[in-house]
Amino acid sequence: MKIRGVLIEETFAEAFTMRVARLVITARSSRWVREASLKLTGFATSVIGCKVEAAIERELTPAETPDGRPGVSILVMTMGKDDLPKRLIERVGQTVLTCPTTACYDGLPDAPDRVGVGSALRFFGDGFQASKVVGGERFWRIPVMEGEFLVQEKFGMIKGVGGGNFLILARSADAALEAAEAAVDAIAGHPGVILPFPGGVVRSGSKVGSRRIKSMIASTNDAFCPTLRAITRTALPADVNSVLELVINGVDVPAVASAMKVGIDAACRDGIVAISAGNYGGKLGPHHFHLRKIMAGDTSAATG
Amino acid sequence: MSDGLVARLKRPLDTRADFGEAFAGEWRGLGAAELATRSVRLAGGPVPLGDLLHISGSANGALRLEGDFSRADRVGAGLASGTITVVGQVGDEAGLGMSGGALIIEGDAGRRAGAASSGYRRGMTGGELIVRGSAGPEAGASMRRGLIAIGGDAAEYAGLGLIAGTIVVFGASAAGAGQWSKRGSLVALGSVTPPATYTYACTYWPPHVGLILTRLRDVYRLPVRDIHITGRYRRYSGDLAELGKGEILAWQAE
Repeated sequence: MKIRGVLIEETFAEAFTMRVARLVITARSSRWVREASLKLTGFATSVIGCKVEAAIERELTPAETPDGRPGVSILVMTMGKDDLPKRLIERVGQTVLTCPTTACYDGLPDAPDRVGVGSALRFFGDGFQASKVVGGERFWRIPVMEGEFLVQEKFGMIKGVGGGNFLILARSADAALEAAEAAVDAIAGHPGVILPFPGGVVRSGSKVGSRRIKSMIASTNDAFCPTLRAITRTALPADVNSVLELVINGVDVPAVASAMKVGIDAACRDGIVAISAGNYGGKLGPHHFHLRKIMAGDTSAATG
Repeated sequence: MSDGLVARLKRPLDTRADFGEAFAGEWRGLGAAELATRSVRLAGGPVPLGDLLHISGSANGALRLEGDFSRADRVGAGLASGTITVVGQVGDEAGLGMSGGALIIEGDAGRRAGAASSGYRRGMTGGELIVRGSAGPEAGASMRRGLIAIGGDAAEYAGLGLIAGTIVVFGASAAGAGQWSKRGSLVALGSVTPPATYTYACTYWPPHVGLILTRLRDVYRLPVRDIHITGRYRRYSGDLAELGKGEILAWQAE
């Protein structure tokens, strides 16, 4: 299969089941929404080193938020269900509670699994906190020097998908970057997905384990490193000189598959040789996103 | 999708009628015929609801009351679920001790809407009571939880002895608002004079007010303006003759 001359390789992205929470952060202005969001989602690229993967899902207009102010929705994802409340309490407590004018709401109100966040953070109020039940949900008012911080007591938790991905194999580093940027722009605002890496792009794709150090969980994906072409079992076509990866996490398989489709399509442009994907032979992750099926429009076919 | 039940008064009430038992507890699963068997108390004794109202439609958790209910007291008392809409005004003690659901009164409400039943310490313990018109004295007296919104003015002693919960008054709040409250919030979008036993704390943006007002605008189409949501409020803490954890939040027009 080729799209505008770009080969879509016969391979698949291998992804995992993760636990997901959706946070809605509002503030008095977009500036403070952005400040809180960037802090909350900072250092959250991969569970390997960050314990959590998080990014902005999309911006919200005042008409879309619970308190009529500008906001964003953010997806926060962990591997284990016990990890998620811990990470939420840490991050909301350190980055949203501290940020002027913000409030923090649950963005998955229909999720039956609920994890306590405001119920833990309220203790910062040292007995001066107060709660309000609005629309059947409890919110905590925590007094702070600026005024009050409002946070929902419980947040929904669902099973999602982490590790959807595709690799952009390019003739040059510039072409790879331009294609990656185009793909990120195409995916931006796509409902139900996030790109947790910097700018949505990864340059350091990894393989499982290490050739030399047994304790390492992951190490560089040497098969896709152009500089190692001559000294390793390369997976790169001859005219590829740079590779970038997009990692896509989402609330479910169709959301990830749909985002992969629009991203790959946008990445198929001049200077790109092929689109590939990262997998571990299909033995580790239950979700297999076959590139050619996805590009043929079958966004539901992602089970290994 | 069914439009729910509609109950029309068969004839104007010529005496006061106590609807306190008509919609108490769980009623959402009742059809028109079953609901018609519930009691209404008149001066001469109880009568079936069906003697006063023509009830039609099918059950879906919503009930619309049509006619002149100004002599109907305790409409929606003990309401636990579902939505009751009264097209017009109601008598006294509407939503008395309700614990859930929504009671929407399109006109005015009489005395003690959402208050505590006689002999009980707690008024509303949950749910939402929306009065699009004005409310009589002691609205929300001894309220424990839930939300009361009054689109017009609130007469004397709104939130008297408030234990918790929120009362939002779009019009003027008369004297005694929040008197003897322990906790809870009285949000005054119109004029209000806090009792002498309240103390001014600060002028700020209370985030829960933005949340509540957005809900009142989006769900109940109350006339919330953007500057109500984004504006500043003077916070008065009280009643300091009681627990003192309550508040009157007075919106600042500029």
